[in-house]
Formats: sequence, C-alpha cells, structure tokens
Amino acid sequence: MNYIKLDKTRCKACYLCVDVCPKKLIIKGSQPNSLGHFPVEFKDPDNKCIGCAMCAMRCPDIAITEVVKN
Amino acid sequence: MIKTTEKSVFKLPKSLKAGMKFPFCAGCDHGVAIRLVAEVLDEMNLREKTIAVASIGCSVMLYDYLDTDCVEAPHGRALAAATGVKRTNKDKFVLTYQGDGDFASIGLAESLHAALRGEKVSAICINNTTYGMTGGQAGPTTIMGQITKTSPNGRNEEYYGYPIKIAEQVALCDGTAYSARCSLDSIANIKKTKEAIRKTFEVQLQGLGFGFVEILSTCPTNWHLTPQESHERVRNELFQVYPLGVYKEV
Repeated sequence: MNYIKLDKTRCKACYLCVDVCPKKLIIKGSQPNSLGHFPVEFKDPDNKCIGCAMCAMRCPDIAITEVVKN
Repeated sequence: MIKTTEKSVFKLPKSLKAGMKFPFCAGCDHGVAIRLVAEVLDEMNLREKTIAVASIGCSVMLYDYLDTDCVEAPHGRALAAATGVKRTNKDKFVLTYQGDGDFASIGLAESLHAALRGEKVSAICINNTTYGMTGGQAGPTTIMGQITKTSPNGRNEEYYGYPIKIAEQVALCDGTAYSARCSLDSIANIKKTKEAIRKTFEVQLQGLGFGFVEILSTCPTNWHLTPQESHERVRNELFQVYPLGVYKEV
C-alpha cells in the first residue's frame, strides 16, 4: 500500500497538489488549521495511490513530508 | 500474510533546517526552488562545505531554511559578497539565491561582472516579473503590458522600456560556464529545473566558471491570480517572452 504523510500545520491551501494527483486522492479539506486555512486531506479507501510523489514535488510548503511506496 | 517492504520515495531534504516552515504566500514557487536546492545539496553531499549568500527580497531569509553556513549581502550585492567568500575559501562551495529585482536591477553590475570575471560560484535567480516583497512594483523583468503598482496602465516601451532577458545576457559573458532558464509550472519542468541546478553546481566543482540558472516563478499575491491561474500565466505569457532552454554550456 502506498501512502503520503501530510503535515496539516504547513498546508496553506493553495490546492496545487489537488490538480496534479493522477488518481484524484487529495481533496480540499473542511477543517481549518492553526493558520486559518483549510488544508487538504488524503482519502484513499481503495488503495489507489501509486506513490508517484508528484504531489510532494509540487507542494511549495513541503506539507507532504513523506511519500511511502511498497 | 503478504510481506511488504516500505520504501520512502520522497523525504524532507537534510539540508533544510528541521522544523522550519516557509513564510511565503500560498502557491508561491519560492518554496519549491529552495527545496530543489536543498535536495541537490543532499544528493551531491555538499552541505558541510557550502556557504550560501542570501540577497534582499522574498529570498532574504534563506539562512532560516538552509542548514548551511550563510552570509547576508546588501541589496543586489550577493555576487560581490560571494566573490570574496569564494576567493578566500577556495575549497568551499558558494551559491547565491536571488530574485530578479536583486540580480538584474539593483545588482546588475555586480552580477554581470561576476559572470565576466568567471567567478567560480553558482547563482540562482528567481524571476517572478515583479518586486514581490515590497508590494508588486514594476521590475526589470516585468513583461510588456503587465499591470503592476507602478505601471497601472501596463508596461509600455516609451515610458518603461523593455524587459531584460537575464539568462541570455549572462550567456553572452565569456566567463560563464553554464546558463539556463527553467520554470516551475509543471512537474516535468520542476524535474528539468532540478537537473539545471545540479549542472550549475557541477560547473563550480569542476572549476569551469560561473554557473547560472534563471527560474521562472509565480507571485500569485501581486499578480492578483490564484496559484493555478499563475501557472497558466507562466505557460501562456511568460514562455513567449522568456523561452526555456540552456543558453550556454561549456
């Protein structure tokens, strides 16, 4: 199972990762963080993540701190 | 039970300070550029011998992010300071990280003369076509027709003149070993930018001369666009004026 580790305190809600995810597993969140932004959430119930790390490469604030691939 | 082996394909670079957070606006590509620099420093194992020279602008707080030795230079004088650092510490790896206003406006003389002297340093210039930190005034790289705080009717040639094409100008200098222009608008271009930064570092280590990379970046706040629209603007408008490519490689 591939997955990403998300640091929601770093996310500034630019949503660039939402656009680059080829499987559309990253969605806009509904709970605000300490910065007052609505950080993204990683939802992968069917284990569709391919571990391409494009979201991490795109993120300007390194909110996606690790991408793990099996 | 199926046995799995977990492998990390992306991690925080060790050359970035632990626990640091970028203070940039949402969607600003500065964070991507600094991360790429840190990743290349990690991969080339340069962290312990690097002296970075920070400039003025949004790039000013470089010493807060990079876990290397760092010097803060006056406005535009990053390459003048880097010259002194490199000439007195020939075994060190010296890099500057500047914006377009710092590199090509206030520091144009220092920057071009460092290239003409063939100083063995690496320079990275972030081009976002405006003065980001001071509130979005017209800069030397502001493209024709662009509306900024100090060009409210758009940049025109009779009042403001023409934008400077930094990568081409640096490539004309005989002391330059590598000059390229890259972009951060897509994943493919981010990977190409990382390779260009690596090449810029290699020419310094090989002692070939001045290494330079200009990175087209975005400024969503001062362009008054969303991060997504900013990348569209880079693709649709900036690529016409600032074509990507390697302009000099020895």
